[in-house]
Formats: sequence, C-alpha cells, structure tokens
Amino acid sequence: MPQWIERMLHAAFSSIDMLAWFPENISTYGKELDDLFKIIYWLCVAIFFLTFGLMGLFMIIYRKREGHKAYNYHGNNVVEITWTILPTMLFFGLGLYSDDMWQTTKYSARVPKADVEILCLGKQFGWYFLYPGADGKFGRNAYNDESARELMSLTNPFGRDTTDPNGADDFVTENQFTVPMNADIVVRGSAIDVIHSFFLPHARVKQDVIPGTWMNIWFNLTKTGKYELACAELCGSGHYSMRAVYTILSPADYDKWLDQKNQESLAIRGLLPTAPAAEATSDSTATAEETSETENGEQ
Amino acid sequence: MNTTAAALGVHADHVGANEHAHEHHHELPWYRKYLFSTDHKVIAKQFMISSFFFLFVGGMFALFIRWQLAYPGQPIPVIGHILPDTWVTEPGSGVITPEFYAQLLSMHGTVMVFLVIIPFATGMFGNFCIPLMLGTDDMALPRLNMWSFWLLPPGGLIMFAGFFTQTGYAGAGWTSYPPLSALTQFPVFTITGQTLWLIAVFLIGFSSILGAVNYVTTILNKRAKGMGLFDMPLTVWALFITAIMVTLGTPVLASGLAMLFFDNFLHTSFFLPDHLVSATGHGFEVGTGQPILFQHVFWFYSHPAVYIMILPLMGVVSDVLSVFSRKPVYGYKAMVFSLVGIATLGFIVWGHHMFQSGMNPLLGTTFMLSTIVIAVPSSIKTFNWLGTIWRGNIHFSAALLSALSFVSMFIIGGLSGIFMASAPVDIFIHDTYFIVAHIHYVLFGGSLFGIFAGIYYWYPKMFGKMLSETWAKRHVFWSFVFFNGTFFPMHVLGVGGHMRRIYDPNVYDFLKGMQPMNEFITVCAIGLGFTQLILVGNIIYHIKYGKKAPRNPWNANTLEWAAPAHPGHGNFDRDITVYRGPYEYSVPGRELDYWPQWEPGKSISVHHHTVAVD
Repeated sequence: MPQWIERMLHAAFSSIDMLAWFPENISTYGKELDDLFKIIYWLCVAIFFLTFGLMGLFMIIYRKREGHKAYNYHGNNVVEITWTILPTMLFFGLGLYSDDMWQTTKYSARVPKADVEILCLGKQFGWYFLYPGADGKFGRNAYNDESARELMSLTNPFGRDTTDPNGADDFVTENQFTVPMNADIVVRGSAIDVIHSFFLPHARVKQDVIPGTWMNIWFNLTKTGKYELACAELCGSGHYSMRAVYTILSPADYDKWLDQKNQESLAIRGLLPTAPAAEATSDSTATAEETSETENGEQ
Repeated sequence: MNTTAAALGVHADHVGANEHAHEHHHELPWYRKYLFSTDHKVIAKQFMISSFFFLFVGGMFALFIRWQLAYPGQPIPVIGHILPDTWVTEPGSGVITPEFYAQLLSMHGTVMVFLVIIPFATGMFGNFCIPLMLGTDDMALPRLNMWSFWLLPPGGLIMFAGFFTQTGYAGAGWTSYPPLSALTQFPVFTITGQTLWLIAVFLIGFSSILGAVNYVTTILNKRAKGMGLFDMPLTVWALFITAIMVTLGTPVLASGLAMLFFDNFLHTSFFLPDHLVSATGHGFEVGTGQPILFQHVFWFYSHPAVYIMILPLMGVVSDVLSVFSRKPVYGYKAMVFSLVGIATLGFIVWGHHMFQSGMNPLLGTTFMLSTIVIAVPSSIKTFNWLGTIWRGNIHFSAALLSALSFVSMFIIGGLSGIFMASAPVDIFIHDTYFIVAHIHYVLFGGSLFGIFAGIYYWYPKMFGKMLSETWAKRHVFWSFVFFNGTFFPMHVLGVGGHMRRIYDPNVYDFLKGMQPMNEFITVCAIGLGFTQLILVGNIIYHIKYGKKAPRNPWNANTLEWAAPAHPGHGNFDRDITVYRGPYEYSVPGRELDYWPQWEPGKSISVHHHTVAVD
C-alpha cells in the first residue's frame, strides 16, 4: 500500500475518537469547559444513534414492496407536543447549566482580583505585552486614561506617557509573555489596527480584542512550560503568522524573571535618561529581549 | 382569482390538446425568450445556470484553499504554473501567496452564500415552483422578477472585477468585519476589491428583495381556485416564509453595507474608533465608531440568511419524502408552525456569532438561551420527516436519496450546532474548524443535498425529459461519501484547536500533528468536486438525449404535475381547481396510491386518516 494512502487511512480512523484530540488543558476552568463539551458530545452521540437508527430501520422495513400500500396518516398532536416539550426542556436545561460557566469566564464582575495584570495589544501581525514593572503600577497609558490614546503610535502602541513616574519601570515584550503558575492572571486586551482574537488553545481562552475597547481576559494556569498564543480572527494576509509564545514559570522563577527584567530596564534608563529616548528604548528592550529569547531557543 | 382563471382559459383554448405548448400569442424575439424573459420558468433556469457557474468557481476556490492546507508550499497541480504572478509567491512557482489565500477564502464564502445557495434556493426553486405549485400562469409581477435575476450577473461581475484592482479581491472574509474591511492605505475615492465587494453584495441583496416581494405577492394573490393557505405544499410555505425573512432582513444588511462603503470609500467612521494605528491606514485621528456595531448589523441579516438558505430546501425535502414514501407528510401543520418558529427565532439569535466578539457577556447569556431554543423547531422537523417515512412504501429514487442525505446531514449539522450554542463551549471552538465543519454540514450537507433532491425531482417538469436515475444515484452516493470524508474530520481539527482561515497551520507547534488529517480532507474534497461533474453532465446530456417525460412521472399530487410535460409560457392547458391538500397518498378506498389536488372527489377525515367516499 502506498505510504500516503496508509497515512490517510490512519487519519480517517483516528478521527473517530474526537475527544482524544483536545490539546492538553492547563487552566483551572478548562476542565469544566471540556467536561461540558463532553456532556454535549455524548448527548449528541445518543441522539445521532437514535435518529440514524430509526431512519435506517425505516428504510429497510418500509422499502418499496409489490402489493404493499403505505399508511395514510397525517400525524398526531400528542406526539407533536411531546417531541416539542422534551427537547425544549432538555436544551433549555443545557443552556441554564452552561450559563454559570459562561459567567465565570466572561462576566466582568466575576473577574478575580489580579495577581498579575498585563496589558496586551494585537497588531498586524503580532502581539505586544506591557508589564507594570517593579512598582506593580502602570503609568498613564491608553488603557487607564482615554486621553492618552493620542500618544498611540507604531513606536508607542500603548500610548505610554513618559512623563509619568509610575510608568518609568513599565516594560514591553513582543510576541511573548511570561506568567506565574497558580496565579490569577488578568490580561486587559485591545488592538491597535484591526480586530484580532486572543486565543490560548491549551488554556481554553479566547477573546476578540478590538481597537478602541479593552477586554478583560482572565485565567489561572496549573502547569509550568512553554505554550502558544494564536490569533483566531482573520486580520489580514499575515493572520496565520500571528503567533506568540508564553512561558509559565513557578512563582519563584517568575519573581526571578521579573527582577531580571527590572534590572534590564533600570540599566537602560540609567544609560538613556531623556524622556523621548526612554520611550524608544522600551521598544528596543522588547526587540533585544525577543532576540535573546529566540537565541535561547524555543524548541 | 378571476383574472387567473380567465388567463388560463384563454391559454387553454389557444394551445388546445398540444402537450408541448411552445406556441405563444405572438412570437417573441430570441432575446426576450431566453435572456430578458418574464416567464418564471425561464428565469428559474437562468438562476440555475448562473448558480452552477458560480458553484464551479466557488468550488475551484475551495480546492485551491484545500491544496494549500494539505500541501503548504507546494505548487498547485496542473494550473499552478499559469496563475498570474501576483497570486503566486514567485512567478511560475504555482505556490499561492498568503494575500491570495485570504482573497480565496473570502471569495469562496461570498460566492457560495450569495451567488450559489441563495440563488439556487430562493431564485431557482422560488421561481420554478411557486406559480406551478399554485396552479397559476406566472408570477404576480413578472417584469420585477426579470430584474431580480438581472441584478445578479452584474453583481457577480463587479465582485470578480476585484481581482483586477491594485490590491486584488477583498480579503476580509465573507463577513468583512471592519476595521479590516474599511482600512486602506489609499486616499478617498479609490476603488479597491473591498469597495467592489460592497457594491456587489448590495446589488445581490436587492435582487433578493425584488424576488421576495414578488413571491409574497404571488402566494397571497394568485393561488388556484379552491386553494387555501393550508392547501399549499410545504415547498411553497417554506418559500413564503423565506421571502418574508428576506424582506425583513436584507434591508438591514444593505444599510450596514452602505455604512461600510462610506467608511471604506469616503473615509467616514461609522465603524472606526479613534486613533487607529497602522502603518498606512486612514482613520488615525477620526472616529467615534464602534467596530462591533457592524457585526450586529451584519449578523442580524446573516443569521436569518442561514435559514433563508435552508428553509426552502426543508420544504422541498418534505415534498420529496412524502411523494416517494407514498405517504402524507407527518404533522403538516406542525411543519408549517415550526417553519414560522424557526423564522421568528432566527431573528433573535444573531448574537451567537459574537460570543467572543467582546459584546457584553450578559447578551451572551440571552443569545445562548434563544439559540439553544431554536434547536426545538429544527428537531420537530426532523422527527416529522422520520414520521413521514415511517410505515411508508419507500421508492428509492435519486431524489429520495438526496432528501434522506439532507435529513441525515442536517441532523449532524444541527447537533454540532448545540456545541457552539453553549457559549462556554464556544470559547474554545469559536473560529476553529469545528465551526467550518458545522456550517458545511448545514449548507452543503443540508442545502446543497436539498438542491440535488429538488433538481432530481423537478427536472422532468423543467426540461420535459427524464434524467438517468443510475447516474443520479451514483452522484448522490459519491457526494455523500466524499462529503462526509471532507467535512467530518474538520470537527476533529476543530477539537484540536485548528483555527480557520489560516494559510499555513505548520506555523504552530500544537497543530503539527494534523497534517495527515488535512491531507485526507483535501483528497476527499477533490473527489467531491469531481463528483459534481456527474450531476452537470447528467443534466446537460439529458436535455437533448433524455427520454421524454410524462406529465406526472412520479405520480405526485401537487399542481405542477397537472401542467403539460414541458409547459410553455402560461403553464397550464386546463382550468385548475383544487379539491384537497397536497399530501393525500395511499388513501384507503382508492385504487391509486395518490390523489392529485386537481382531481374532483370527496373524502372524510377520521382520526388523522383520510378516507375516500363516493
């Protein structure tokens, strides 16, 4: 058998067990979401076999036979009402059951108090992340002050006000971010040009990010490691390449990483104290950081 | 009613006993007969031809997309080296660029929705079936009907013209969300592919509205003598309700498109927020617009559009199942009310396309509940279809097999819809291949198989010839097999997290294991594409060489089968009076297992059975 046929047959057969294809789950609420998927899946499997079974049976039993006449029957209201009410109850119950999970993941009131807060911006075609730095406070920027939107530009996507002392130690990373394990991470997401979508497949997180609006995205990750962020909303020809990598560290390692970033940021500010230049460096930090990360290897 | 009868009477005198009523009151020039005809049957055939043309084009686009996904970076076979230089990475390389890929997927979606399924479902079946099944000579407004077709080809041409603009065709998806679809690097008054897309869809929308107004008018005013609304076949009911949905929904889309056109062409900011940052785009200072507003307007039409694309076929399938099971439709009124239910609920569920869009999550809760309830009328229909074949005497014709494929694929499409109706489950599968699988199960497995059923069922009346049943069955069988091979594994890709609309999945580590699956899908898709040539060949060959069709080849009850085998302008050669509902099959007390609507005779109804009495 040619190799490609073998490969394809294997693919066809492995598609039968759909549930096995989920990427590994690494977030706290991911398991609940997966379980809800599984409940619906088994419900659908049951309905599938019921309806297809009946159809197959009818096709065999009631196939055309000579001398046989069909049964003239126009239907029955009791039956109609039964098969109206039963699915209504079933589906409505499913909706109500789903709602609490929906509220947990998306309602602003249910977003937990942030252990780590990051700003995130999508652009054609990549991602920027802004950390509050050593003081844990963001300076004035387009997220916390609408009027700072005027400062937004390709070199200063977050519209950071360099005159604000709180923002002096804020730092930007590009196409990668780092978060601690077992902490409530809150990402305030937006975009600078078109709509993108913040998709962490392993954490079961997806949220469109829209220019002009900030979305609250939260998650709590249960594992250390390196995982991928993808854009899930068509944003132009480079949509497919809008990939970022995030690293989950243990709390101790995360503190170490944060210290190191702060040192870097201090060093750069010590070298280049003037305001406009400092702004430019925040981006070059990002670039430098990214290059070094890439060299360290993501394999 | 009187005028109809008079017109029919005149026509009947004129044509006499001639079965093939090609004569007209006066001979029309050829362009009035074949191009700018006001005859509803000619217009139906025009819709059919244009839809098949666009089906071919849209299908080719799909295969380009599939090739890139299965064999990224490898040249398109056969025609790769003749593709224009702007579409490929290097001249003559045959490998398509990411830009062209984005254009292909946008074009595939737009063409299939606006130029294939809607024209097939409402244009072709609406025009062909409504006057014939109502027993009348033509539409109420024949000239408007002609215009409803003739807005379509210019729309299609304008859309395709986008390929020849500087930026190529619109690449923002068939949904064309702003800001992506509004931002251009060009000054005002520059025509881009996206601008042309907006104009074209606007025109096609008008084509739909003109047709729909006509259908509603015809159905309300031109039913044959004795035909009440509840004596109409379900095909006509479905088209009636669809037409109402079109008249309510399409103007909203038109308004959204107009606003987007202004943003795109005149640089207004209906949908653009302030201080957008992009290397070249306009809209830097302007704007208090809200991008999500467009999504609301778009989906307010485009979710009902999903039902516009499938309701007519639900009607067709109900008719076909009844005829070939030789049984009345189970729960006729329940079928009508569930159509009304789907249409009504269809207008309050649009937000389920936007669960992850950033709209207020409280709306997510409401839309989740309304969406999940719309599964109810759909399941009522499914159970009634099963009830229709129950205790029937099933003739396995190609039309019946297509109709059963419709029902079974609609079940799968409906079930996969439950996943995404549940908002928290949708978080993961939104914008993945799971959604792609779902929409194709509904629109290809559903609508297109319904269209096959309708074509196989009405072909004898359309062309006066019989199709080859053998080839028709082969076509349905292989379509069914390849369809499932193509689209079922897409659910699996979706569960794996495979995003839709991506040019090269190998960029991501977590998608690397899915290459064999993508390859399998592509091979099946190519098979599916080629299988459709059987259908086209069957249709074209038998127009000339087919066996002559009798008046009523399927022994069916509805009025179109009272017309001559190949009806001319004016349709009927006798006066039509309706004596009963459309589904009196296998009535006890009758020799024949069918009882046409136009045949006199008395019956009584006893416990949901009809009994003939003398």
